[in-house]
Amino acid sequence: MNKELPPGLALQKVDERIMTLNVGPQHPGSGHMRIIVQIDGDFIVACDPDPGYVHRGEEKMAEYRNYITNIPHLERPVIHDSCNVLYPYVLGVEELLGIEVPERAKYIRVIASELNRCVYTMYWLAIYGIFLGHSTMFMWPAGDRELLIDLLEKMTGARVTHAHFVPGGVRNDLPPNFEDVCLRQVNYFEKRIKEYAAIFYDNPILIARTANTGVLSREDAIRLGTTGSVLRASGVDYDLRKKEPYDVYDELDFQTNVLKEGDSYARSKIPWLDMMESCRIIRHALQKMPKSGSVRVKLKPNPKGGDASVYKRVESGRGSLGCYIVSDKKPEPYRVKLSVGSFRNLIALPYLLKGEKLGNMPSVYWSLNYWPVEADR
Amino acid sequence: MSVIAPNFKFSEFVKSILDNIFWILLIFVLIGLPAVFIILFYIEMPVINGELLTPFLALTWLADPSRTLPILKAFMTTDLFRIAAFPGFGFAALLAAGTIFIERKMLAKLQLRVGPFYCGKIEGILQLMGDGLKLISKEIIIPAKADKPIFWAAPIIFVATAAAFVALIPVAPGWVVADVDVGLLAVFAIIGFFPIITILSAWSSNSKFPFIGGIRALHQMVSFEIPLILSLLGVVILTGTLNLSEIVASQTNFPWIIFLPIGAIIFFITILAELERIPFDLPEAESEIVAGWLTEFSGMIYGLVQLGTYLKLYAFAALFVVLFLGGWTGPMIWPPFPEEIITDGIVIGPIHAKIPGLPVFSQEMLNGVLWFVIKTVGVIFFILLPRGVFPRIRIDMLLSLGWYKLIGLAFVNIFIALGLLYAGVLGPGGIL
Amino acid sequence: MSSDSDNEQIEATSDAKSASAKTSPPSEKEIELPKFEKGLADKIVEKFGTRIKVAFVKPDRVRINVGRDDVKEVAEFLRDVLNFDHAESVSGVDYPQDKEIEVVYHLGSYTDSSLARQILVLATRAQREENPIPGNDTTKLPSLREIFYSVEFHEREIFEMFGVYFQGHPDNRRLLLPEDWADLPPLRKDFAIKGR
Repeated sequence: MNKELPPGLALQKVDERIMTLNVGPQHPGSGHMRIIVQIDGDFIVACDPDPGYVHRGEEKMAEYRNYITNIPHLERPVIHDSCNVLYPYVLGVEELLGIEVPERAKYIRVIASELNRCVYTMYWLAIYGIFLGHSTMFMWPAGDRELLIDLLEKMTGARVTHAHFVPGGVRNDLPPNFEDVCLRQVNYFEKRIKEYAAIFYDNPILIARTANTGVLSREDAIRLGTTGSVLRASGVDYDLRKKEPYDVYDELDFQTNVLKEGDSYARSKIPWLDMMESCRIIRHALQKMPKSGSVRVKLKPNPKGGDASVYKRVESGRGSLGCYIVSDKKPEPYRVKLSVGSFRNLIALPYLLKGEKLGNMPSVYWSLNYWPVEADR
Repeated sequence: MSVIAPNFKFSEFVKSILDNIFWILLIFVLIGLPAVFIILFYIEMPVINGELLTPFLALTWLADPSRTLPILKAFMTTDLFRIAAFPGFGFAALLAAGTIFIERKMLAKLQLRVGPFYCGKIEGILQLMGDGLKLISKEIIIPAKADKPIFWAAPIIFVATAAAFVALIPVAPGWVVADVDVGLLAVFAIIGFFPIITILSAWSSNSKFPFIGGIRALHQMVSFEIPLILSLLGVVILTGTLNLSEIVASQTNFPWIIFLPIGAIIFFITILAELERIPFDLPEAESEIVAGWLTEFSGMIYGLVQLGTYLKLYAFAALFVVLFLGGWTGPMIWPPFPEEIITDGIVIGPIHAKIPGLPVFSQEMLNGVLWFVIKTVGVIFFILLPRGVFPRIRIDMLLSLGWYKLIGLAFVNIFIALGLLYAGVLGPGGIL
Repeated sequence: MSSDSDNEQIEATSDAKSASAKTSPPSEKEIELPKFEKGLADKIVEKFGTRIKVAFVKPDRVRINVGRDDVKEVAEFLRDVLNFDHAESVSGVDYPQDKEIEVVYHLGSYTDSSLARQILVLATRAQREENPIPGNDTTKLPSLREIFYSVEFHEREIFEMFGVYFQGHPDNRRLLLPEDWADLPPLRKDFAIKGR
């Protein structure tokens, strides 16, 4: 005879235990996307990400504008990382049009790109802090970010949407005396981010909360095609700045940060370590940069690409960022496709959240270095 | 062209004001005055300075301070004053509000920002008042499928319970709203209400995030109530009484925190959890479950819950002071009331006013209140400080902390207290 | 900082460059093909012969065009033999005049360090219909999701943006577009932006 459970415990179906939660798009822990989460008690049994709330059709718009007027709107997906978002497009257009970039412009591009990576990472880190309920970690990066934004403002004239990279170089030369200011600000910035270890990265509560949660093994990281900090936190040494150096990265001295754990803690630590490498790169680039020279090859108005296609990629703040341009002898590109790191990392979210506790959802989600606007394009 | 009131005429505006004044006066004369007299007829008027206070005599208070002070003193002995103003609600709310302001400024300094700045002339001192006014003026939105009576009642019960908790706290010798012999038991009973109110409001709002928040609050508060109660048993064992005033009186020589530091630490951690403060703010964890059990509250309903939370914050900090830091005891630092004002009165130029009935408060009472305030503000400060330093912890970590570590430590604390008692060091008949 | 003389110089060089750009693509092919990339292309040609067509071999980039029936087999060969382990990007390109929609897989490798720089471009074409009914017309391709797990969301995106139905994909739902989108798939060329 079967042992019968008391009436309160005997549920008719398993489904009755499961509650569906709509996390987002209006939720303080989701960003501009929706995650449909099914929970059984405190455990997530299924997760279905639903991006697309900020889809702006950048790729469609790019087919209607010529190669130069595409620049200001293609950087919109991540305005905090606008130089890096433009970088592959500009490299691709340069290959299509067969332009050689002056040496000084290459160094300026690298400096701008690294500054922008830090700006983006600080913003990301601020939100990671507030997702974990650490309000100081929200305010500090948001404030220290201003240092680099001021530098970029001096450099490009705009605080976030720079539109600084153009096919053939950069828009403007550096302002006078920029090198000294940059060196001073970057040194102070590095000193500041090292202080974050004491309040955030070495915090015992933080380590207890995020270590061993959302573990992505090396094999799965490769199989899911993740990129950037997610990939490097899982023990894969793959950084495009080293593996496929563009512009002058092969002449600069830096190293790739790789951690083996693959958990949320490692994923959140990699961008922070990368910022210190960025500071190193900037210092080295400032040292090696030619002190004078042209920074832009002047293009003919309305340049036309050949009948070709290029795929260029760079390492952005969120991982590999590729741009596939098909041209058909017209001033406008026939097709522009941005293959963005956020969109590629999103596939890991349902995989990682399955079986996690609900309390781990924000930390795992944001440790994927995900930027909803970029994923939607 | 946009005009705020297109049909505005100044004459009509004046007329409407005059109309309003007329109707108010008419209603007051026809209904208000008779009502006042009817009420005064049935109320037993106090006898002050040998003469019965009549309504007509009462009007002379406004002019003569020598008549005002005795009335004031008579009023201060009533229960109404104690509940509403001094050791009760008003005092607690004011103290909590002041501390919240200090907390916001301090947290802002910690996070390298300015904090409240524009509201009020000095460093945004009126910010809390501004926030309160904003909450009052906002619309209250109630979910369509909410259980409305409970949804309305829950915040009010919450504030009432917090106020009941405040009523048990002795502030100065003799100054306590409810001086019950089983004071500490009453505190435990009142604390036991909070999870019920939380789960009621969470359930009645008929929404998923409040429900999860309510369940979390229930888990958290219930599991931390046990170490809370156990950590206070040491004090009860040593003093042999449950009356809070007597517990304070037993600490005139030394506060209990010297002998029971483990108990004090456990009690402090459980306070953080009961108050849903970071790092234990799981029931309101913003990035996970929006605002937890407060998600559906809006307008003044939310304001009431905040008020209740502040009162609770004050009450717990005050309880810590009463039990472990010696309450109002402390060296006399309040200056004595100047004698010449009592004997000679106040001389301002040609005016020579002699005010009988001074001083209003005794020196001991003022000194006790001062020490109590200093200690309570210090404790509140320490309760609020972790907010700038720690992230939120997870529910399973919280529960294992409550059930395994704190309860075990609480028993250690009890054994220390028992050891001190049986060794004859402390307690009734002890050598100290 | 920049002066007039600089500008003139740049103008002159850019003219020379653009002139060379027009002539360079054919000359590049004739002169030298990068060795490693040539080896990759040769391996694929050796295996599949005429069923595939090597479109170009450039430094770090090899592109092969495959018919829609062979794409799965080729992809499996690329993964198992040539060690390409993930798809970086899947793009659709609409060619209304050919009545075809091209789907381009950009494959990369994390495990094989010699392939770290390489991107193998695998292109295939699906039939295009003038009046698409996404999912219920002939615009179909075999899904590569079982071979490269990472194409899952990319193929969902192609399905909604171009109307290419991927047979064998377990989850052919909308991803970016709203649920009630009832217009043409928006990245097709005949979907015009208003005012343009």
